Amino acid sequence: MSNSLKLTNVSKSFGEAKIIKNLNLDIKKNERHAIIGPNGAGKSTLFHLISGHYKLTSGKITLNGDVINNLEPHQINRKGLARSFQVTNIFPKMSVYENIRCGILWSLDFKYSIIKLVNKNKELNKKTNVILQEVNLQHCAHLPAGLLSYADQRALEIGITIAGGADTLMLDEPTAGMSNSETERAVNLIKQISENRTLVVVEHDMGVVFDLADRISVLVYGEIIATDTPNNIRKNKAVQAAYLGTEEH
Amino acid sequence: MLNILKPFSTWIIIAAIAAALPLIFESSFALTLLSKMGVLIIFTVAYNMLLGQGGMLSFGHAIYFGLAGYASIHILNGIGEETLPYFPTVLFPLIGAIVGLFFGSIVGYVSTRRAGTAFAMISLGFCEMVTAMTLIFVIFFNGEDGIQTDRMVGPEPFGVSFGPQIEVYYLILFWVLLTVALMYIITKTPFGRMSNAVRDNPERAAFIGYSVRRVRWQAFALSSMFAGAAGSLHAINYEHIGFESVSVVQSGAVLFMAFIGGAGHFLGPIIGAIGLTYLDSTLADITEAWLLYLGLTFSGIVMFAPGGLAGLIVMHGPIARTNKNLLFSLIKPYLLAIGSVITGLLGLIGIIEMLYFRSLISKGEGEIIIFWTEFNANGILSWLIFIGLILLGIFLSKRTFPVAKESWDNAISVVKTEISNE
Amino acid sequence: MDVILFTVFNGLLYGMLLFMLSSGLTLIFGMMGVLNFAHASFFMLGAYFAYQISKYIGFVPALFIAPLIVAVCGAMVEKYALRRVHKFGHVAELLFTFGLFYIIEELVQMVWGKVPVGYHVPEFLDFTLFSMSGMGYQAYAMFTLLVSIAIFFALFSVLTKTRAGLIIQAALTHPEIVSSLGHNVPRVFMAVFGLGCALAGLAGVLAGNTLGTEPSMALSLGPIVFVVIVVGGLGSLKGALVASILIGVLQTTAISLDLSINSLIETLGFAVDLESLWHILIDLTISQVAPILPYLLLVVMLIVRPRGLFGNRDV
Repeated sequence: MSNSLKLTNVSKSFGEAKIIKNLNLDIKKNERHAIIGPNGAGKSTLFHLISGHYKLTSGKITLNGDVINNLEPHQINRKGLARSFQVTNIFPKMSVYENIRCGILWSLDFKYSIIKLVNKNKELNKKTNVILQEVNLQHCAHLPAGLLSYADQRALEIGITIAGGADTLMLDEPTAGMSNSETERAVNLIKQISENRTLVVVEHDMGVVFDLADRISVLVYGEIIATDTPNNIRKNKAVQAAYLGTEEH
Repeated sequence: MLNILKPFSTWIIIAAIAAALPLIFESSFALTLLSKMGVLIIFTVAYNMLLGQGGMLSFGHAIYFGLAGYASIHILNGIGEETLPYFPTVLFPLIGAIVGLFFGSIVGYVSTRRAGTAFAMISLGFCEMVTAMTLIFVIFFNGEDGIQTDRMVGPEPFGVSFGPQIEVYYLILFWVLLTVALMYIITKTPFGRMSNAVRDNPERAAFIGYSVRRVRWQAFALSSMFAGAAGSLHAINYEHIGFESVSVVQSGAVLFMAFIGGAGHFLGPIIGAIGLTYLDSTLADITEAWLLYLGLTFSGIVMFAPGGLAGLIVMHGPIARTNKNLLFSLIKPYLLAIGSVITGLLGLIGIIEMLYFRSLISKGEGEIIIFWTEFNANGILSWLIFIGLILLGIFLSKRTFPVAKESWDNAISVVKTEISNE
Repeated sequence: MDVILFTVFNGLLYGMLLFMLSSGLTLIFGMMGVLNFAHASFFMLGAYFAYQISKYIGFVPALFIAPLIVAVCGAMVEKYALRRVHKFGHVAELLFTFGLFYIIEELVQMVWGKVPVGYHVPEFLDFTLFSMSGMGYQAYAMFTLLVSIAIFFALFSVLTKTRAGLIIQAALTHPEIVSSLGHNVPRVFMAVFGLGCALAGLAGVLAGNTLGTEPSMALSLGPIVFVVIVVGGLGSLKGALVASILIGVLQTTAISLDLSINSLIETLGFAVDLESLWHILIDLTISQVAPILPYLLLVVMLIVRPRGLFGNRDV
């Protein structure tokens, strides 16, 4: 299998503090890859580095073979990488439908057009409905997104993330703050949308991680101490010592 | 045939009413006022492409309005002196639009890196710079006097010379309908939607493939373009342009109109432009304190109703759609709340008017007419009456407002459950 | 040489005045995120209060009382209005202060009228302290400079020596530190806002009598103060100081220079004969274009270095 996302010797410092240290990570095409690690390990920073939010101090990141670490976030997104955020990140004043539709615009080559009308485009609206169905939000399509329940907002965020048709998805704690039933629904949704896509997910809930991931990387203090299948990670002594032992699940 | 026109029915009705207005209000004062309203509607809706649609607060949007005005006047004069070839007056807003687009693209490019307060501050800096220039580069701007022109130049196609104000009104009306329709359509395009998206959440917008800066820049340039068209009409309407048209004062005026009307809704700025232009030309003659009332109203709206007047109306939309009876049940608590506010305002206005009267108009004579009633500005009784009204207003508001708010909360929660049950 | 010294003295004087305004503005902005459009209005209030107080009990008490009243006004505005707007975001706060700017200007007109009031330099300071080659150094100017330098050192030591000051300073660069103040946040905000307004008010007391105390004084000085804090770097006190003095000296020097491009060309021994329009452009003297210079500096700064001289965040 070819690589989807490849990080080579990636480092990031904020002033004196070195948050990510010479990190190497290979994520294979169409695998579900989870990144776990204790608080402050640098998981969110790593996400921000990959998505272009922060610039690398040194190293290289490639997506499907193209170097992306010197690009702006929107350029990286156009190369086929989409992400969600730890804090819910939607367009709260716009309707749910509009949220999804905006997510699709670039992929259908609308660019910054001021002559095409969004309501008149059949393909765009059909696709919007398909994605609404996929994330199961048809019932509230015309409510302002800000009025949705927390779980629905997270689902909407996943909807926006997949709307552009990216083949690599990064989800930052998609089930944080959810009840058990909500989590179950979210995991099913993630499984469903990540078919034939590459998925990178940061998650605290170990149940979710072991249920979802094909492989797991363990990030501790800016370094990856192990990358393996869920079963091997469970058995890995170094991981138990550094992480699982201190935070029992 | 009629079916084709149906989607445009609202537009056609509005156009017909606007076209008939001069037949109803025949006085020259009304015609001047209507013309001014038209120009300011274009300007305010254009400004709201930035403020409401794009989330950028500018204190300097008069630059594009004013510079387009200066350019139009120079070209009119050039045609009049026959140093420039003839250009139809009807198409002058196109010149203004090009001027606006040109300067808007340049200034927009350097100032749209960030939105928010930093953007606002920079727009103010640009505005001050251009205002200072008008007083320095006298050859083009003619300093504090500004420039005059005569709009009756060149041939008169179909006998239209644009000499009479009524012809100018219809010229303005034509451009109002055209530009407002265009700006409305733009909100329905991919760019228009992404402009909203960038306003709501720039970080997210970048991660769906859009360059935030590019979206803002485009919004800035387009908004300046339409502001320029308005500037041209302003110049033709008054046959004069002065430095105040590029200044912070003009920029602030358009901000007031857009925000008080309601920046969050497309109709808001139109309501604001019509309402404030009307009040400006009528109240300014009646009271010295007009600007104080305007400032107080604006600050009050910022504090209590950030959606502006349109926002207050729109927030009842869901209630009206699901359950009309619920809407009627709100009338009583609302009337009580409005009544108590008006009581307090009457007192406040009385006090302000008497203070102005004492300091500006007359120190000796005490008779002042407020609300068609004669008061003695030096007598203790009139002060007591107005202070009493203020206290009564506050007292009543403290009781009626929670009730009004509770009624609304109730209504909206009923609506919410009705929607989710569907 | 003496002319240069005199110009620099005036530039320094104007610069320190700008610093008194911009330091308060940048403190408030850095800590609370509030860009106070009405900041120069508090400067104006300071001048008018000083005028009124000095009319009854003299300049020296006014020097202390007027800034205090301004501080109370500022604190009240923060407590009863800004705090309510806070939940709508920083742009709403800016909009509110924009409305406040109009309100204060109109109130001032209501109370003191539309024409300048007779706020004069106090008699005991109204003499020429010394002269150097025909340039008279006014005692009052010297007094103003001394007071503003004293304020600068006082501000500096409060910010570096006291606990509250250290937290304020830290909050300028790391706004999240503000939350370490715990339940005191609203009170600290009110105090910072009041302090910023007091500094502006004091500047008004000191400058109102030389610059003229009139309702339009806020509008003429306000935008310059914004330029200062952008050029210096948002939230940076050091930047505010350097930019204040830079712009102060720049403006006073420019006003005194009667040079134009044309005169420069002529001194080089050439004569130019251009079409009328261009002639007027090269005939413009530096003193004539002085009013645009600060804004030009702002634009150049935005293009070359958007974070300002000492800022750590992009504009």
